[in-house]
Amino acid sequence: MVLTRSTRLRCHQVAKTLQAYLDGEVVPRKADQVAAHLEECRQCGLDAQTYRAIKASIATSYAPDDTAREAVVRLRGFVEGLAAGDHG
Amino acid sequence: MTEAVCSSPDERQVAFDSYVVPHLDVMYRVALSLTRNPADAEDLVQDAVLRAYRAIDRFDGRYPRAWLLTIVRNTHYNRTRRRIPFLFRDGESAEAALENLGDHEPSAESVVVDPQFEGVVVDALNDLPEKFRAPVDLVDIHGLSYQETADALGIPIGTVMSRLHRARARIRAHLNTAGFIPGKEMA
Repeated sequence: MVLTRSTRLRCHQVAKTLQAYLDGEVVPRKADQVAAHLEECRQCGLDAQTYRAIKASIATSYAPDDTAREAVVRLRGFVEGLAAGDHG
Repeated sequence: MTEAVCSSPDERQVAFDSYVVPHLDVMYRVALSLTRNPADAEDLVQDAVLRAYRAIDRFDGRYPRAWLLTIVRNTHYNRTRRRIPFLFRDGESAEAALENLGDHEPSAESVVVDPQFEGVVVDALNDLPEKFRAPVDLVDIHGLSYQETADALGIPIGTVMSRLHRARARIRAHLNTAGFIPGKEMA
């Protein structure tokens, strides 16, 4: 994507949309504009890197454990019981 | 008015298996985020499943995940008799925090490789008020979209966005205080 002066984003514009960009919640054209700015701007690029690290830390620290897996198995059994009329 | 997807008992069971069973996992994860307790989360999903079972005749078949998450949320609020807090003001942004970086930044790599980084992030997340923590839980841990998060929490999508923004800015401020992100101290 070729960015012209009119399509380039400024830092304050990137700050407003950065979270949605990192969450994959912006349209492709806007994502291209943000990505281009993050490539060019060291401070915004570092901000993005920090927030990516925060997101990754949160995601990995809460990986599904045995308790969650066992709960879902029991819930499936509960649903099967519903079909059999056990819980009316 | 949209037509319901089933009328006979067999159709009802097929619809239930088709629309509800595939989403039990996300229902549990959302319930866990709402209750913060595995046993309560499981009870909540059971209640929500029963409600869904009784309401499947009226479900039009569109967006089953959103429908189910709404049931989980409503069931949770009915169980706890808790009102949704609407006192949050959205005008404040994290831009001030983002602008407080100093002039001498380290490389991006130095931010992410410290083994204590994750611990500070998780502690900061757990210190957040519920209304800020829940959207982060649902988006970052459980992979819900903004719309699904809005459905699960019963708040507008713009509020989801602003709460995520503020929550992450607060976590970032914790990292700053702990020395993981150089720059001026947050005001």
